[in-house]
Amino acid sequence: MADVLTVSALNKRFGGIVVADNIDLSLIKGRVLGLIGPNGAGKTSLFNLVCGVVRPDSGSIMLDGQEINGLPIRARARMGLARTWQNLRLFASLSVLDNLMLGPQVYSADTFTDLIFRPGHVAAAERAARDKAFAILERTGLADIAHQPIRDITFGQQKLVGVARALMNDARCLLLDEPMAGVEGQAYALIQKAVRDIAASGVAICVVEHNVAFIRDLCDEGVFMFAGKVLARGSVEALIADPQLTELYFGT
Amino acid sequence: MDYIYTILILIGLFVILASSFDLVIGHCGLISIAHPIFYALGAYVSAMLAKEGGVPIPLAMLAGGAAAFLASVLVALPSLRVSGDYLLIASIGFQLGLIEFAKHIHSIGGAGGLTNIPSFLVNSYGRLSYVILVLAVAVLTVLFVRWLTSGPYGRMMAAMRDDELAFSMLGRNAIWVKVSVFAIGSGIAGVAGGLYAHYFRFLEPDQFGLLQSSAILTMVVVGGMRTTWGPVIGAVVLQILPQAITFLGLPPSILGPLQGLMFSGLVLVFMFARPQGLLAAPDIWAGRSTRERADG
Amino acid sequence: MLNATVISQILWTSLATSSYFVLFAVAFALVLKVNKVFNFAQAGMMTCAFYSAYVAVRVLEFSGPVGFVAAIAGGAAMAFILERFGFSVLRHRRASPMFVFIFTLIASQFITYAMTMIFGTWPTTIFASMFWPVSIIANVAVSAWDLPALGATILVLVVLWAFLRFTRYGQFMIAVADNADLAELYGIRKDRVLMVSMLVAGIICGIGMFLYGTRAQVQPAAATELMLFAVAATILGGIGNLWGAALAAVVLGLVQNSSILFIPSAWQGFLLYAFLFFAIVLFPSGFHLPERSKRLKRTVVAPVVVSDAKEG
Repeated sequence: MADVLTVSALNKRFGGIVVADNIDLSLIKGRVLGLIGPNGAGKTSLFNLVCGVVRPDSGSIMLDGQEINGLPIRARARMGLARTWQNLRLFASLSVLDNLMLGPQVYSADTFTDLIFRPGHVAAAERAARDKAFAILERTGLADIAHQPIRDITFGQQKLVGVARALMNDARCLLLDEPMAGVEGQAYALIQKAVRDIAASGVAICVVEHNVAFIRDLCDEGVFMFAGKVLARGSVEALIADPQLTELYFGT
Repeated sequence: MDYIYTILILIGLFVILASSFDLVIGHCGLISIAHPIFYALGAYVSAMLAKEGGVPIPLAMLAGGAAAFLASVLVALPSLRVSGDYLLIASIGFQLGLIEFAKHIHSIGGAGGLTNIPSFLVNSYGRLSYVILVLAVAVLTVLFVRWLTSGPYGRMMAAMRDDELAFSMLGRNAIWVKVSVFAIGSGIAGVAGGLYAHYFRFLEPDQFGLLQSSAILTMVVVGGMRTTWGPVIGAVVLQILPQAITFLGLPPSILGPLQGLMFSGLVLVFMFARPQGLLAAPDIWAGRSTRERADG
Repeated sequence: MLNATVISQILWTSLATSSYFVLFAVAFALVLKVNKVFNFAQAGMMTCAFYSAYVAVRVLEFSGPVGFVAAIAGGAAMAFILERFGFSVLRHRRASPMFVFIFTLIASQFITYAMTMIFGTWPTTIFASMFWPVSIIANVAVSAWDLPALGATILVLVVLWAFLRFTRYGQFMIAVADNADLAELYGIRKDRVLMVSMLVAGIICGIGMFLYGTRAQVQPAAATELMLFAVAATILGGIGNLWGAALAAVVLGLVQNSSILFIPSAWQGFLLYAFLFFAIVLFPSGFHLPERSKRLKRTVVAPVVVSDAKEG
């Protein structure tokens, strides 16, 4: 089965608000799934549930056939799950390159004992991470600003850094939360190309987006969410053409 | 001259304490004020091992550091599993509780204090040798903290401070980092405790309470958090100032509180007038690798 | 040695002496709940309250009631200063919670040292004598201090409850405690509410210290230990839960007093800290230094969506 991520019967309420209502979802190797719906539909919440930021009330989440529900966030990341955030969450005290250097599944110096007893290994891992980071920075057009602090680069570049950082993980499953929000021009083209290339390399991708052109262009399939429920699934064209969904999306 | 040596030793000890505390509170962002209790643990363990156990003093000092290290893990691990803020209250509880506890243990001197701690170096080589020992350890501590925080581990700490959630989502283990840094900082404080014990040769539980917590906090906050020299400057300034007013010839009942008033007043002034401290920390983490790259 | 008389005595004495602990705990819990600050400077507020009463009664030789008012004034005054020149400034600078906590700690020390310089370290009391006439009721020694103290405490709790429930500012305080930014959007003046909250805490501390200082000896450093008791009660009672803190204070007081049956009195001081440390370590549901919520919570948007779903 080419299912990289499988979400089954996922449920979550916060007080009176249903954030996830019996959600079933699958992400397939090499395919891009678009998650669409109005604000408050529960799209980012679904990402949070899958990543372990929030614990579901019930249901299962499987990554490559392994149940990850209940595992801490860091464990899921180390199993090949990566994401970008709606509000970026870049490390403001670090340069672009240093942001990426923290991204690999296994860091050069994850433990203090590594630092003291295996300095050779740490140095080698640092070099390897740096090489990989520069490769990714080249692909995403960020090589020139590698040593700039985050606050000195443009918003579009910051979004690219978010994507680049997620790519350091060699993830099998990548969740992108509104990667195009507020982005245009060259940054837009670069992110688009990056997503295409990642999908082509066999990563299962899920994108939350409001940008219709982007979804049409890149997503193989779409899922429409509303009030925590998956209302419709199918080709992006079919979803966009559905008048009922459009009504829900824009509100009556 | 002996007086100057004592001041130098105190400065050295507080440089060790301030630097190691900056690691915990400045670089790692952990809210804890219990640093003195690990200083105390190191001091008492070293003193007792040497005095009652006949352990050679250098070994006893290291054992003191190890004891402080282990105790800090026991405090940090359960607290940090819950949240970073728990550590604050748990560590205060640990600090004040252990002090109360120590006051009732007669074998270590109880509230009256532990006396006749074996001396080290001074009898054979003179006070200057001890000064050199303490200052050497102080230099090593400062260099170690600098090395740790400008390498890959320092990059990790900076990121964790910036955004712990994103940090975890990259696969990094925030709890390990926090516990490790807390333990290392506390272990270093423990070694300093041993150094203190075998020079001053007298320990009492009350000297390691909230007053000393504030003193160390002051040095780091006033000197400048997350800088190599900030804690050093803080330690120097805050040892010299109280000594300076000793010369005013005031009665001890006024002198004590006056020193305290100066300490706390100084921090308050800094917190409002210059919150970054005397030396401001750089906004952006610049690691060794950054510096290497700058050369070629 | 454990018979009904001894137990009743311990129960009664614990209850009576828990009066001031309840007040300190509630004051601490209130500031934590509304202002979202671990106010370690409460020790300073308490010290200031005590010495105000002390000066009024022992130095200026006014009567007891004047001392009572002085205690309240002292506590409130220090609360005012802390909020106006301390917390408010730090808040507007968006200082980190750690920074604010360090401020409270240092402020507390500063006040303690100042008081030590002025009043020295000799333990003193508000009235010249700590002794109150004792009557024996049902084999239990009841001090003339006990009932007024309990009465005062209950009255304070009732008034506080009514204040929070029925008055404008009380309700504003609850709103700010819940979501300060949202409250501001609804037109509530956050700065004013936080000041009122601190003043209320200061008043309660003043009353508590008057009670304490008429029964026990106080020296400048004493308030810190009393306040730590309040901290323990607040944590055990549940953050945000004023009445939980009050109850926890009573229970802790009971535990501490009755421990004399099981452990030597010298160890009683240690018991509190051991309790604090282990209760925290074993406490399953953590707590967080309350963060200032930087954004509007989604609760404003979501109900609209949910109602749509029901219709559509």
